[in-house]
Amino acid sequence: MARDLARAFDASPNPYTMPTRDFCYAGVNQAYLDVVGRTREELIGRNLFELFDGGGQSAQARENERRLKASFERVLNTGEPDHLALIHYPIEVTDPDGRTRIEDRYWSATHTPIRDVDGEVAYILQHTTDITELQNLRQRVSGDRDQATVTDLLSSNVLARAEHLQSDNLRLQSERNRLLDIFMQAPGFIAVLTGPDFVFQMHNEAYAELTGHRPLNGRPVAEAMPELAAQGFLDLLKQVRETGEAFEGRAMPVELGSGEGGPLRTHYLDFVYQPLRDGEGQVAGVFVQGHEVTDVVEAGNRQKLMIDELNHRVKNTLATVQSIAMQTARTHAEPATFAQAFQARLMSLSHTHNLLTRSHWEGADLAEVLAHETEAHGSTRILPNGPVVSLSPAQALSIGMIFHELATNAAKHGVLRSGDGRVLVDWTLLDGAVSLTWREIDGPAMVPPLHRGFGSRLIDRNVRHDLAGECRLDYSGDGLIFSLTFPLERTES
Amino acid sequence: MSVSGLEGRKVLIVEDESLVAMLLETMLEDMGCTVFGTAGRVQEALEMLGGDTLPDVALLDVNVAGQTVYPVAEELDRRGVPAVFSTGYGQGGLAEGWVGRPTVQKPYTEAMIRDALMRVLGVRNA
Repeated sequence: MARDLARAFDASPNPYTMPTRDFCYAGVNQAYLDVVGRTREELIGRNLFELFDGGGQSAQARENERRLKASFERVLNTGEPDHLALIHYPIEVTDPDGRTRIEDRYWSATHTPIRDVDGEVAYILQHTTDITELQNLRQRVSGDRDQATVTDLLSSNVLARAEHLQSDNLRLQSERNRLLDIFMQAPGFIAVLTGPDFVFQMHNEAYAELTGHRPLNGRPVAEAMPELAAQGFLDLLKQVRETGEAFEGRAMPVELGSGEGGPLRTHYLDFVYQPLRDGEGQVAGVFVQGHEVTDVVEAGNRQKLMIDELNHRVKNTLATVQSIAMQTARTHAEPATFAQAFQARLMSLSHTHNLLTRSHWEGADLAEVLAHETEAHGSTRILPNGPVVSLSPAQALSIGMIFHELATNAAKHGVLRSGDGRVLVDWTLLDGAVSLTWREIDGPAMVPPLHRGFGSRLIDRNVRHDLAGECRLDYSGDGLIFSLTFPLERTES
Repeated sequence: MSVSGLEGRKVLIVEDESLVAMLLETMLEDMGCTVFGTAGRVQEALEMLGGDTLPDVALLDVNVAGQTVYPVAEELDRRGVPAVFSTGYGQGGLAEGWVGRPTVQKPYTEAMIRDALMRVLGVRNA
């Protein structure tokens, strides 16, 4: 472990040295040796200030040395890291020809306390960076003003300020990173737009997800998200910029492409456009923040649709029952026979509903509807013969009522009155049209034929109105023959 | 029982439920009205209004076989024929732009239909 750390320390591209409490080199890494142009043997165990005295015997050199030592002592006294944002510290270097000379150097250093097992500061870890380029800058600039700025920058006065700023910056940097983390991982979408063209400065993962992971940063809204401009959102952004007042959108529909130029999809968003002000109080940008409420809005719409549909069906069913009651009453003056006929018709409707409920209201098979509506008369007496015909719910309800009226009529006036009578129900499906025949045989001749009663009107109406088909009633010597033709797929004209 | 003021009036019925249409026909015949026609589809109703003869008044189910009846209502408005809407939801069942039009809520009684027709035809109750 310790060896690994030592290797990592030595391999670091950053120059590190580790003086003891009395400023003797206890450790240095290769990067440090490179920057000062010395070998390890020349340094280890030697006093730092003996080897590097700040640049000779001048007052400036003594001041340089004093400042570096002061920083070390602050670390030893406080046990806290100390920063030297900028320090002028010339060192002695050896040229390739073997001659030594003093070379002007500028450094920026961080001094960190390293404690022993008792918690006492035993070493100072120095991370130092050669920033001599700044001096070169001073030599290059010619204008008085720039010269003054650089001189000012390098003076101790500014150095103190720089140091101060540096520690503030470190604190702000960590605060900023923390905020940025929260910002990037927030479940809501966030974006920062600046300038009159609303250029994306940053956006978080949720925003990227919403907009289909298209390139955004550095691009104006109109270019990166052209679909927004067409929907008036660019005008809203301009309004926020001009008035300085936030805009709040509640469950607002927004058509967004899934990626750049992708197909549009409607999203419902709760969001705020918040003006961002600069130091002078002018609106410099817009902070966009919000979350998607599409699921909530769609669930609400679905629920409303379902309630409306339920209401429509219930009210229609009540009106249907009312109609059956009123019309049954017209042909049944006696309360007893009225109740019987009325209930039978309600049960007929209910049977078809049961069938449809079983298929989740997707439809029903014609043979099944027939079996349900006629089972009261015995399965051996009504003989079905035909292919599978899938009826829509509306068709199933109509056919159900028709079979009920036919069977009731046959039981009351037709072949089902006596024990021998039977009904042959044959159907074919050809070119999308159903042809069906209800043929009563082997029974007593029909005494008053089915006509002009509610039953026949209901059959006639159902066939024309609900099935868009045709029907006719004939009487043979045996009994009633009902022929029906209707299209399976009703085409809207 | 024939109702004075409604006798002989030609009424267009737009209603997709056969049984409900039959109920209306029965009620209207009882009042002495003539059924101008019964349409179960919007298109069918528009075809009925295509000729020279027009009904005096219309009873319109708002939701007809999955379509809304408003194209028929617009045509009636254009030709100056008054209409009564019938819906499962009362006034709340009318779309924007039609709210406030005479409406009867399902299920309805003969008296409700009679009063609504008399109101839109401007016939005073005797």
